[in-house]
Amino acid sequence: MTYTRRQFIGTLGATTALIGAPSILRAQSQGTFRIGALCPVTGSGSPFGSGMQKMIIAAAEAVNAAGGAAGRKIEIVSEDTQTNPQAAVLAAKKLIDVNKVQAILGTWSSGVSLAVVPLTNDANIILMNTSGAPALSVPPANAKGLSYRFQATNDRFGRAFAEICEKEGFKRPATMAFNNASGIGNTEGFRKAWEAKGHKVVENVVYEPNQPTYRSELQKVLAANPDVIVTGSYLADTTIIMREWYQSGQPVKWVMPGWAASPDLVKAVGPDVVEGVISVDSVSNENAPSYKAYDEAYRKVTGQPGQSNVYAAMTWDMVHALALAIEAANGTDTAAINAKIREVSNPAGQQVYTYAEAKEALKKGKINFEGASSVLDFDQYGDVTPDFGVFFIEGGQLNRRYVVKI
Amino acid sequence: MEAYFIAIGIIALIYVILSLGLTLQYGLTGLINFGHVGFFAIGAYTSALLALKGVPLVFSFAAAAALAGLAAWPLGLVSLRLRDDYFAIVTLGFSEVVRIVITSERWLTNGVQGIPGIPRLYEGLGGSAAQLAVLVTVLAVTLVGAWIIRRIAGSPFGRLIEAIRDNEEAVQALGKDPARFKIQVLVVGAALAGIAGAFYAHYITYIVPDQFIPLVTFYVWMAIIMGGVGRVSGAIVGTAILMLFLEGSRFLRDIVPGVSEVDMASVRIGAVGLLLVLFIMYRPQGLMGDYTKR
Amino acid sequence: MFYAQLLVNGLVQGLVIGLAALSITLVFGIARFPNAATGDFMTFGAYAALSAHKATGSIAMGGLAAIIATGVISLLAYLAVFRRLAERSVVALLVASIGIAFFIRAVLGVAFGHSQQVFQVPLSRPYVFGSVRITPLDLQLAAVALAALALVFAILYLTPIGRQMRAVADNRDLARVSGIRPDRVMIALWLLAGSVAGVAGMMLGIKTIVTPEFGWEMLLPAFTAAILGGIGSPVGAVVAGLILGVVQEVSTPLVGFTYKIALAFIIMLAVLLVRPRGLFGRLEGAR
Repeated sequence: MTYTRRQFIGTLGATTALIGAPSILRAQSQGTFRIGALCPVTGSGSPFGSGMQKMIIAAAEAVNAAGGAAGRKIEIVSEDTQTNPQAAVLAAKKLIDVNKVQAILGTWSSGVSLAVVPLTNDANIILMNTSGAPALSVPPANAKGLSYRFQATNDRFGRAFAEICEKEGFKRPATMAFNNASGIGNTEGFRKAWEAKGHKVVENVVYEPNQPTYRSELQKVLAANPDVIVTGSYLADTTIIMREWYQSGQPVKWVMPGWAASPDLVKAVGPDVVEGVISVDSVSNENAPSYKAYDEAYRKVTGQPGQSNVYAAMTWDMVHALALAIEAANGTDTAAINAKIREVSNPAGQQVYTYAEAKEALKKGKINFEGASSVLDFDQYGDVTPDFGVFFIEGGQLNRRYVVKI
Repeated sequence: MEAYFIAIGIIALIYVILSLGLTLQYGLTGLINFGHVGFFAIGAYTSALLALKGVPLVFSFAAAAALAGLAAWPLGLVSLRLRDDYFAIVTLGFSEVVRIVITSERWLTNGVQGIPGIPRLYEGLGGSAAQLAVLVTVLAVTLVGAWIIRRIAGSPFGRLIEAIRDNEEAVQALGKDPARFKIQVLVVGAALAGIAGAFYAHYITYIVPDQFIPLVTFYVWMAIIMGGVGRVSGAIVGTAILMLFLEGSRFLRDIVPGVSEVDMASVRIGAVGLLLVLFIMYRPQGLMGDYTKR
Repeated sequence: MFYAQLLVNGLVQGLVIGLAALSITLVFGIARFPNAATGDFMTFGAYAALSAHKATGSIAMGGLAAIIATGVISLLAYLAVFRRLAERSVVALLVASIGIAFFIRAVLGVAFGHSQQVFQVPLSRPYVFGSVRITPLDLQLAAVALAALALVFAILYLTPIGRQMRAVADNRDLARVSGIRPDRVMIALWLLAGSVAGVAGMMLGIKTIVTPEFGWEMLLPAFTAAILGGIGSPVGAVVAGLILGVVQEVSTPLVGFTYKIALAFIIMLAVLLVRPRGLFGRLEGAR
């Protein structure tokens, strides 16, 4: 058995070498650095995906207009993940093997990022994602340190929820989570942070999608008599839950992630139902000039304000951080680029906001790129810690009262 | 380029293994199994969990096949008492129960967070050599599976299960017990699906309950209906068409103007639906089908 | 009282499932196959009702639109596809219905987009009986379900075409030799089944939200109810829907909110093993 297998593998190796040989001849086309934009254009990520993709392209244009990175133009090849791991794996394979991209940017759902990261690790290229799952920070997913996350982890969202509940003086929080990685991640993160503060969560309910009614789930949560319900939910289920809660007549406050408690929710259930709901979202770095540049680009391409898609601001920053690292490394070697990503994004150094400006400053010394989505400082896991905006829904409007830093 | 085709080849062959199981169950025996993805999921999780515990992959694959086959046993017993169309819905329900159990039993399966970092086959080879080795292995398993099913079809056992499909009462009247054969066929088909699941888990390296929805079952059904029910060549050709269709639409949008990428998902599923209806209406025997039967 | 409220929740959930199951059981009993396009017929009905409601502001007009439009689309599916497959196996019909389901969903997705839509109806406070709350919408839903059931019954038992339908359901060949034209019966059947699905879709849409996938997601519980109730039995479908809804909700303190979904299949399986024709089914359902 062993013998034949070894022999078999030997033959296999020889065959591969033969097939692989021509690819050495097909060298990288000089003068470009190719990036794969792998966004959730269809599937459940579709509200964000096409904006994310467009901002990768727009940012690349901005980089190229400023003379490119390390003397090379950035070239974008786009693919759709369909928000589905299997489709994403094949798309990533195509990007890596057919298009020979040297980095993949823009994977959105955790399932997709976790499925794609082994491929980028194998190919020794960088992956930049906007997913929440904690597993992406550590090996095996981030075994090579080539993966960067531009979104707050679910844990950080949970911590922000706990800060807000404390600040608002809530004593008896309960949680409701949509049964998927992100939903549970948010409420579990909250529970951990809340219990670390020495408090107790009175009830935890996890519910399934696509139910005609969530009244029993609500009944269980409300029976514990909470003063606030913290959710890890999405728009569709939140719409149904809010309506049924309103009809129950039991007063309680809500703290929700921004993708659930959005203007669409107000539109769907009416302003009376969601009055006083607290919506929490990672805030873009709105006062920075980099945000202004992003917002302009986003409006130009989509006709929508930049704040309607926080993930698009993240993909905008991805291209900037990567291009600056290429420029700083003065080459296209992944290891060299990877070594520079934190150097150009994190303090100290001169604060810079646009690519052209940053490129100039880089000639003089150390820079600190401040992104549109956050100040873009990566920790040792490649994670960022954005600030969280706390919005109160008042008269149908989402009004930001304050910002929480964790 | 090659690596991309190897990737498509591996996924396609995994689907071929799934279709082979269904060819045996439905094509030859007439058992309408609409819960194929359930066995696929059992295989994927079994092998992934064992491999992560350090069990050698040879054994984890064997366990995947065994456990998936074992799960088919009670369904086989049930099938004997049910009409064909009821059985279809019972199996569909079964696959959903499997998904719900995987979702709920977090201590075992990590629930909706999924299992990352499943070891790959031939990890030691690294890079493209490992990929090629995986392809060759899946291909070998597929060929063995196809050979077994052809042997079964040509054997007295095969003639018997076809007779069960065509006229169960007659088989009973001959003093044979159709029940036993139906169970055997279900178990073998499910074991094949379990192996396919193991390959899938160790290839994608990350599994999560969302990947095991009934749509996978419908894809396999589409493949055998387009290719030709009850024929091994049909399972292969049908799967090839399916993959061409699903992957081809990646390149299609460069060619077809005016379809936004968001609409592409709808266009894809609409075309799949239309193809299904047209095949059923105008070429019920499938591309490779046999005109003399049904 | 906790359980009393769960019971009410279950009844409401059961009514939605039961209405969908009613459409499935009609087709299953008379045309003899599980119509997997029922869920997407429901979605179609919901979008038709939504459009009419937006245009006129009247829920009644929405209902009318759902009934007519879904009846028509269901009839078209029959004329274009199912009629030509009448002599073919159950699987051929089942797979064709899945194809039609996919196609309808694709058309709706392109036409209406993928973001959720809702019926803009005012929310009203519930009636409170002791500690049990029942919303006006629940009562309306119950009224609609009962009306649909009564209508189906009236058609099946009081009209000539209904008698012919039942005759075809009992024995197609016998019906044919006694001079019943199956085609007329089938046209009436598909119109009726489509209309019921349309109403079911609208009611589900008012209770929840409307997306191109939402009807498809209801298909499995509806199939389960149709089989549990006994194929071809309208009362069975609705009663089974109610049973499933109630058992699911009342069991949640014990099994939780995920396993309650699995419970539906387990009940179905258990009943089928003891009574293969379902609760209200005719013997024909048995092997």
